[in-house]
Amino acid sequence: MGDVDRAEELARRLEDLTVRAIADGVRSGALSAVDVAEAALARIGRLDGDLHAFLAAPREHALEQARSIDARRARGEALGPLAGVPIAVKDALSTKGLATTAGSKILEGYAPPYDATVVARLRAADAIVVGKTNMDEFAMGSSNENSAYGPAKNPWDPARTPGGSSGGSAAAVAARLAAAALGSDTGGSIRQPAAFTGTVGVKPTYGRVSRYGLIAFASSLDQVGPIANDVRGAARVLGVIAGHDPRDATSLTAPRADYEAACDRSVAGLRVGVPDEYFAEGLDGEVEASVRAAIAGLEAEGCVVRPVKLPHTRHAVATYYVIATAEASSNLARFDGVRYGLRVTPPRADLRAMYGATRDRGFGAEVKRRILLGTFVLSAGYYDAYYLKAQKVRTLVRRDFDAAFADVDVLVSPTAPTPAFRLGEKIDDPLAMYLNDVYTLPASLAGLPSCSVPCAPTSAGLPIGLQITGRPLDEAGVLAVAAAWERRSPAKGAIPALARTARR
Amino acid sequence: MAGSPKLDRAQIDHVAKLASLSLTGAEAERLTGELAAIVAYVAELDAIDTTGVEPTAHVQLERAPWRADAPSPSLSNDEALAQAPAAADGGFAVPLFVEG
Repeated sequence: MGDVDRAEELARRLEDLTVRAIADGVRSGALSAVDVAEAALARIGRLDGDLHAFLAAPREHALEQARSIDARRARGEALGPLAGVPIAVKDALSTKGLATTAGSKILEGYAPPYDATVVARLRAADAIVVGKTNMDEFAMGSSNENSAYGPAKNPWDPARTPGGSSGGSAAAVAARLAAAALGSDTGGSIRQPAAFTGTVGVKPTYGRVSRYGLIAFASSLDQVGPIANDVRGAARVLGVIAGHDPRDATSLTAPRADYEAACDRSVAGLRVGVPDEYFAEGLDGEVEASVRAAIAGLEAEGCVVRPVKLPHTRHAVATYYVIATAEASSNLARFDGVRYGLRVTPPRADLRAMYGATRDRGFGAEVKRRILLGTFVLSAGYYDAYYLKAQKVRTLVRRDFDAAFADVDVLVSPTAPTPAFRLGEKIDDPLAMYLNDVYTLPASLAGLPSCSVPCAPTSAGLPIGLQITGRPLDEAGVLAVAAAWERRSPAKGAIPALARTARR
Repeated sequence: MAGSPKLDRAQIDHVAKLASLSLTGAEAERLTGELAAIVAYVAELDAIDTTGVEPTAHVQLERAPWRADAPSPSLSNDEALAQAPAAADGGFAVPLFVEG
């Protein structure tokens, strides 16, 4: 077989290869990392013009890593658990020498002088960082339409959103442009795109994964996590990126579990809670039917299913948008045209005028909206009424979960109230866009581990996600339930038609 | 809560100044309407009884350990300045901010 044929063949095989299969193949020598990288780059070249999942995927960057992996194997060195696995990284994560914009014009051309801890850990595990993925500007959005560089598209229907804010990461995995990706989740930004694209997305417990090098949006909520085309792949990536990092003061020392082993665990006898409040007005009928079928599937696996109450769920949106914007207004003060990124200096401008002009030009509409809302709720006269009040309601949301977890081991629900909506459908109504996050926000406010795993699609073929939320630090329990469902899920292994190459 | 305060243009201009955002008139006008709707929505929190409830500023932090107070290498001066829009004399250069 010629080189071109071989590359073409491997590009096709990437449609079905999991994280584990690629790593096993590269470690054993059955696959070369360079061939895998070439295959991923070929898929990106062919499909990303339509999907816009990537903001950057420099060929040499990927190949250089791949060559070094192959060379180390040739020397007889042992390779890491992600050997040769092409992984896409959300553009909110700093990558040394590789442009990192967080989807914003204010960081156009910025090349960080260091790697985020999670990126350094991917590299140390011998993954191939194939590129940086599209996202809502500073992770503020649920549709990718707030990207300053134009939205990523959903591979299942390019007229629809892949979700947000980690929409590029999810689209890249769904179309098999990468076997896995990193996203970040502040209020659902890993789970909702995973649900919309038929991929597996995991938001770990707050503090489980280092935030060092993640461009901050809301520091008490932000958490990095994996998106992959199967639960086991997400578990393997989580095992690589999780763990204490002295560079993040909120990083926890709690020991990691064996997340991959958890995928083989029986869930018989596990108590699964179904919160009534997540099956309320606004939930799409097809989403409800699909999620209820998945819950029945878990029951068939031996889970004990029972209803639970999370009474403050309906206040999560208001609570979140006060707290997250307050934190964002403070975090985004650093973008001032002094140390990096864009600077706009009007004629005869003093320092303050330079700040104002730079931030007005550099930030998009949603970011300005959130900075202003956050500044308002923190301003004199309104702090107690909005910010402090929201923090108290956050405590009530946490207490809801504490009470529920006294009776059950995990909670299951829809990840989002609807399947992927059309690009443009909600962009003119910020509040309607926020309300789409109603099911993912509570676990974010409580810092709980939570994942989305595909269940049966809609009649039109759009993916639907089952959300599984666990106790603090119980990622293993969440993954065990996700894997048990995945084995039965009719969506297992489903690939969008546009990502399927015609067989010869 | 201070009732649902009417978010007007003057308030938006004030908040924009606090946030160092030089908005155009049309932008400020549009944002006034959008933010008023969002603030009216979040005012629903007002009705929740939070008597005696402690605020949550951060989850899980109680389990995080302190780092040893020991010096470690950081970015060099050149690396730190490499991305700056303007640098001079080994520092970040900015427009005038103190009247001479």
